[in-house]
Amino acid sequence: MTAADPSAATDPRTLRLRVFRFRRDDQEPRTEEFEVPVGDHTTVLDALRWIQRHRDPTLAVRHSCLHASCGTCGMLVNGREALACVTPADPRSDGTISIQPIANLPVLTDLVVDMSTFVDRFPQPHPIVRDSEFLPQATHPDDHDRYLRFEDCIECGLCLSACPVAATDDTYRGPAALAYAQRVLEQAGTSVEQRDALLDWADGDDAAWRCHAAFECTEACPSDVRPAERIMALRKLLRRREGRTA
Amino acid sequence: MSRRDLDEIRRVRREPGPVTRKAPGPVAWFDVRRRRTGQLAFSMNRITALGLVFYLYLHLAVLSSLLRGADAWNSFLGLATTPLFLGLDVLLVLGLLVHGLNGLRVALVGSGFVPNRQKALFWSLGVFGTILLIYSAIHVFTSD
Amino acid sequence: MVRSTASVDAHVLIVGGGGTGGALAHDLTLRGLRVTLVERGEFTSGTTGRHHGLLHSGARYAVNDRDSAVECIEENRILRRIAPGSFEENDGLFVGVTDEDMDYLPAFLEGCEASGIPTQVLGPEQALRLEPLLNPDLKVAVRVPDATMDAMRMPLRFFATARANGAELLNHVAVTELGTSAGRVVDATVRDVVTGIETTVEADLVVNATGPWSGQVARMAGVDVPIRPSPGVMLAVRGRLCNMVINRLHGSGDGDIIVPQRALSVVGTSSWVVEDPDDLDVPPDHVARMIEEGSKLIPAVRDAPFRAAWSAARPLIGSRDADSGRELSRTFKTIDHASDDGVAGFVTITGGKATTLRGMAEVCADTVVRVLGLDAPCRTRETVLLPHTEFYAA
Repeated sequence: MTAADPSAATDPRTLRLRVFRFRRDDQEPRTEEFEVPVGDHTTVLDALRWIQRHRDPTLAVRHSCLHASCGTCGMLVNGREALACVTPADPRSDGTISIQPIANLPVLTDLVVDMSTFVDRFPQPHPIVRDSEFLPQATHPDDHDRYLRFEDCIECGLCLSACPVAATDDTYRGPAALAYAQRVLEQAGTSVEQRDALLDWADGDDAAWRCHAAFECTEACPSDVRPAERIMALRKLLRRREGRTA
Repeated sequence: MSRRDLDEIRRVRREPGPVTRKAPGPVAWFDVRRRRTGQLAFSMNRITALGLVFYLYLHLAVLSSLLRGADAWNSFLGLATTPLFLGLDVLLVLGLLVHGLNGLRVALVGSGFVPNRQKALFWSLGVFGTILLIYSAIHVFTSD
Repeated sequence: MVRSTASVDAHVLIVGGGGTGGALAHDLTLRGLRVTLVERGEFTSGTTGRHHGLLHSGARYAVNDRDSAVECIEENRILRRIAPGSFEENDGLFVGVTDEDMDYLPAFLEGCEASGIPTQVLGPEQALRLEPLLNPDLKVAVRVPDATMDAMRMPLRFFATARANGAELLNHVAVTELGTSAGRVVDATVRDVVTGIETTVEADLVVNATGPWSGQVARMAGVDVPIRPSPGVMLAVRGRLCNMVINRLHGSGDGDIIVPQRALSVVGTSSWVVEDPDDLDVPPDHVARMIEEGSKLIPAVRDAPFRAAWSAARPLIGSRDADSGRELSRTFKTIDHASDDGVAGFVTITGGKATTLRGMAEVCADTVVRVLGLDAPCRTRETVLLPHTEFYAA
C-alpha cells in the first residue's frame, strides 16, 4: 500500500523513464531518460515527482488530488491514456516506461497541456452536481429532497486523447462533452427548453454524428463515464426527435 | 529587463502550443498500437473501404473489356480462373465481410439498439464472418 | 497608522497557488489592488487538492478547538452561498459505535451548541435508513451540516473570478529568492518552468500563502514562521459507500472520517509531523489503520477494492515541540512581519483548513490593505463566484 518512498520497498528496483520534454521555443520535442528507483507500489506520478525532486526541478507535471478525482494528471504511459497518480510504474518488456502528454490538446510545456480548448467543447452552462443514484434504498432527511453527487466525469481529457476522430479533427466536440449532454438529457427534471437546446447542440456535424464508433474513449475513461455508449444513446434520442417532428 | 521577461512568460501562456498527435494526420486512423477492438475495427473499416473502392474501379475496368469484344472478355476469363486470381477473390470476400459485418455492428450500436455490447458483437460477428470466409474460400477454389 | 507610500495602484505578489492564495487573489482584486500570484506547480497541487473534500461543519472541533469550530460553521454557510453548485449538500453524521463514543456525546452536543453548529440526534434505525451501509451495531448518530466539495474545482472558482477581474495568475512559476532592501521585501526572483526564463517581480507587498511550505518561503525573507508540516494518510476505495459524510463520534483519531467522492469513498486520516513537506511517504501501517477504523463506521470499507493511498501535509501552526500534529491548533494566522520581525513588505497567512479559505483570505487581506495604508472593505462574503470552467475560458 505504500507509494512514495521506494527505499522502504521490499524489492527496490530501478526503472528507466523516457519522458517527453518540450519547452516552447524548442524546435522539436525531445525525450529525456531518467533512472528512477521504484518500489512495489510506486505510481507513475510518484516516479515523476521523484525526478522533479532529485534530478530535474524544471520538469513540468500537473497533479492535484493524487486519487483520480481531479483529472489533472492525465498522460500517455507506454502509449496508453492513464491517470498517472493511480497507474503503477510498470515497465514494458524492455524495462522502460515512456511518458508523454495526452494527445489532441495543445502542449504548454513537458507533460502539461492546455485544457482550455477541452473545456470549451462542453455545452454551457455546465453544472457538475446532480442527483445521486447510489444507495437507492436509502431515505433522506425530511428537509432534503434527495441526495446529491458530482458528475462522474473529472474532465481529464483522456477520452479526447484516445479518440481517432479527435486525432484528425479539432472541431469535434469529443466524447466528454457529448457524454455530458446525454447524461443531462437522461435525468428527470431537465426542462423542455433545456432538452431542446442540448439536442440542437448535439445534432451538429461537429457533435454526435462525428463519432465513428471506435469506442476507445470508453476504454480510456478512468471514471466509468462510458462516453461511447452515451454517444450512441444520444443518437437514439436525436433519431427519436427526428421521427417525431418528421 | 524584467518587464520584457514577464511579457514573454504571459505571451507563451496565451498562445496555443503545438498539439501532440499519436501519429501524423490520417495515419492516426491506422495506428492500432496499444489499442483495443474498437480502434481495430475502425482501422479495418477504413482499410477495407479503400480496398473495396479500389476493387470497384478494377471491376469497372475489367467490365469495360466487354466493349472490346468477346476475345478480350474470354482472355480475361482465362486469367480469372488462375489460383492467384482465385486467392484475390477470397481476399475480396474477406474485405466485403469485414466491411459489411463491421458496418452492421456499427449500425446496430450506433442506432442505440445494442448499446453496451460492441465487443461481443465484434467477436461474434468476427467468428460468423470467419466461418463464412472459410465456406466461401472452399467454394471459390473447388467449384467449376 | 503608518502612511504607506504605495498608491492605490499597489501591487501585491502572492506566493502560493493553493486555496488560500486563490481566495486572497480574489479578495484583493475585489478591493481594487493589482495582484500577481505565482505557484510553482499546478494550482491546488500542494495540500489543497489532496484533502478528502470535506466542507466542515466544525463539529469535529466543537469540543477541543472552539475557535476552529466557529470559523468552520461560519465559512461553511458563506461558501454555500458564494459557490452554489460546488457541494454535495447531503449533511454528515457523527456515528457512535462504542460506549466510549457514547461518553463523548454530551460534550459533543454541548460544544456544537456553543459553537452555533446545528445538530440532530438520531437513533440507530433512523441512521440506517439514511445510510444503509453504516455499521449495524451503531448506537447513535448525530446529523450535522457537513458537505462534500471537489477539493480542486471549488477553490478554482476563486481563481476564475480573480482572473476575470484582472488578477494575473501564473502557474508553473517558482519563487527562488526574495529580495530585501533596507529592511523590507521588495521583489521576488522567479523561474518560469514553461519558458525557462528567470526574472524578478517587484511588489509593494509579498504575501506568503504556501501552506506547509510557509516556513521555507519565510526563510527566504530571513524570518521564522512557526509552521509544523503535519501529513496524514488518506485512502480511496472504489464504491460510493455513503452519500453523507460519516464521522466517528469521538475526539480526533485516525481513520475517523469517510467522505464520498463521486464513485469512490475516501477514508482519512492520520497525523504525524515532518520537516519537509516535499518528502512525504505513505506508511503502510497507516493505510491499514484507515481500513481498520473506517470499517468500524462502514463495514464494506474492508472489502472495497483499492483505488489510491496518498499523503497530504497540513500546515499546522504551533510550537516546535509537537509530536503528532493532533495537539496543534487548526486555526489560522496572519503574520505581519514588519511588526513581528522587523521585515516590512512581507506578510504570511498560514494554518487553517480547506473550509476556511475565504475567511483566511479576508483576515489576510485586511492586514494587507492596512499595511498599504488603504481603506478597502472585504466584499467576498456576498460575491458569487464564477463557475470553475471559467478558469479555462480562452
